[in-house]
Amino acid sequence: MPHAAATPPAGDLGRVLAQRERRFAAALLAPAFVALLATTTFPLLFLIGTSTFRMDLAMPFADGFVGLENYRTLLADDRFWSSLLVSLIYTASTVVLQVALGLALALLVMDMKRGQGWFRVVAILPVVLSPAVVGMIWRTFMLAPEFGIVDYLAINAGLGSQNWLGDPTLAMVSVVIIHTWQWTPFAFMVLLASLASLPEDIYEAARLDRASAWQRFKRITLPLLRPAIVMVVIMRTMVALTAFAAIFTVTGGGPGTATEILNLYAYRKSFTELSIGYGSALAVALLVVTILISGVLFAMRRAK
Amino acid sequence: MIAKRIRLVAVLAITLLFLLAWVFPILWSVLNSLKTDSDVLAYPPKLFFSPTLEPYRDVLFGSASILPNLVSSFVISIGTTIITMLMAVPAAYALARLRFRGKKFAGFYVLATQMLPPVGIIIPYFLILRNIGWIDTYQGIILIYLSFSLPFAIWLLVSYFEDIPFEMEEAAYLDGASRMKTLWRIIIPQVRGGIAVTIVFVFLNAWNEFLFAVVLSGNTVRPVTVAMFNFVSVEQTLWAKLAAVSVLAMLPVVILGIVAQKNIVKGLTVGAVKGGGRR
Repeated sequence: MPHAAATPPAGDLGRVLAQRERRFAAALLAPAFVALLATTTFPLLFLIGTSTFRMDLAMPFADGFVGLENYRTLLADDRFWSSLLVSLIYTASTVVLQVALGLALALLVMDMKRGQGWFRVVAILPVVLSPAVVGMIWRTFMLAPEFGIVDYLAINAGLGSQNWLGDPTLAMVSVVIIHTWQWTPFAFMVLLASLASLPEDIYEAARLDRASAWQRFKRITLPLLRPAIVMVVIMRTMVALTAFAAIFTVTGGGPGTATEILNLYAYRKSFTELSIGYGSALAVALLVVTILISGVLFAMRRAK
Repeated sequence: MIAKRIRLVAVLAITLLFLLAWVFPILWSVLNSLKTDSDVLAYPPKLFFSPTLEPYRDVLFGSASILPNLVSSFVISIGTTIITMLMAVPAAYALARLRFRGKKFAGFYVLATQMLPPVGIIIPYFLILRNIGWIDTYQGIILIYLSFSLPFAIWLLVSYFEDIPFEMEEAAYLDGASRMKTLWRIIIPQVRGGIAVTIVFVFLNAWNEFLFAVVLSGNTVRPVTVAMFNFVSVEQTLWAKLAAVSVLAMLPVVILGIVAQKNIVKGLTVGAVKGGGRR
């Protein structure tokens, strides 16, 4: 710690005080760490355990230890690979859209002399809502054929009524848009906050040097904003990989498996098809994917 | 001059479009929740109509009342918040202020627990809670909610504890106050604001959770986010009522979000700053 408490007195007294401090710390940490061990580490070990079993709630008589069988099945499972692909498409497109739109809007709003307050308030609305409620609103009032506003606008724009959630491609586009709608304000707020904290005098100097707006953006703003952008990318990637409620309420993963991200596949396998063992293997695969992707992102963060 | 004006108008149009896009789905739900059944189905959609509170009366006091579900949501969220805070405040204090071996690892562990995908937690917990008969109970849901509320609350609180000057504690120790007394009398009052913000976010996250709730809820314990599904079925969607339920589910979190407005960025990015930035 950079700001550790005052140096303890030397000698026996110091040792006694340090020991007391350790005991006090242990007592304060114990309840939270017992709870965390019980609700995260223990289930993880349990999950790895169940992933080596055949465990079928619909056919319990066939249950038993199968070793790595579930993982062998997984590697040969087309639905697993397609759900992984859907996950990657969903994550990449929502994260890119959120950051691009959020950054663009933050830059525009930053230049506004009045009305910034409006954006700060309105941006809070989507991010505090439950993704389940957001999904429900979009599924019905926005996207329902002939009833939803989006479809109404599409009809009036001459595109005709579309089956927004029933067509595989449109359904994917819809769930990406819904996620982007809800979480762009997050990127916007974070990037606006870090834009506001950038030193003004650098821009002054750049203006005196007659640097164009684009040059100022590329040479000054973007490099200074990089840590914040990378942080937003990392956080949003982690969330998008385990997105659940908004897709579950809107399409349930369908039509077919068109919007079934890996997270949703693990859920459906475990709780709809009741194959807990195989579902556990899918959840472990999701954890591995999450760790791999975050490893890459953290490496990018360290690289200059 | 003209180019500048065109630019200004374009910027204004784009930003207003964003504002509208964010407000509209929420506003439209509110409007639909105030319509009669014929108004809600009108084509083209009606922006102006004579409002009614009928849908709210129906969903709150009608035959399929969601009042018990709102109660469920509040019990789960308040219960989660109380238990989380009781555990997180002492833990965060220790992580922020005390010296002990393994401190760095302890902090990292708290962060790392958030990597585990929720679906990987719910599968084992479903099996365990089923065995001990805790499906469809408050204790079952609240217990598993600690998996995400605790790491969040600990890290958010650590950032507030770190802001207090060390002189305060030292002065108290010199006066002969015990560690526990110092924590209660001197430190906690200093971070009252941070504790309030943390309470808001823990409540908000618990209120909004869905995956655990959908697996663990039943006829006794069913939060409003899950109960909402009663209003959409293959045969018919009860539009106005669904809108009313959505608004009721949104109301508490929107109020809390606006109350916590100044701290929202901090609340949303908690932990991320720690990952390697500040220390």
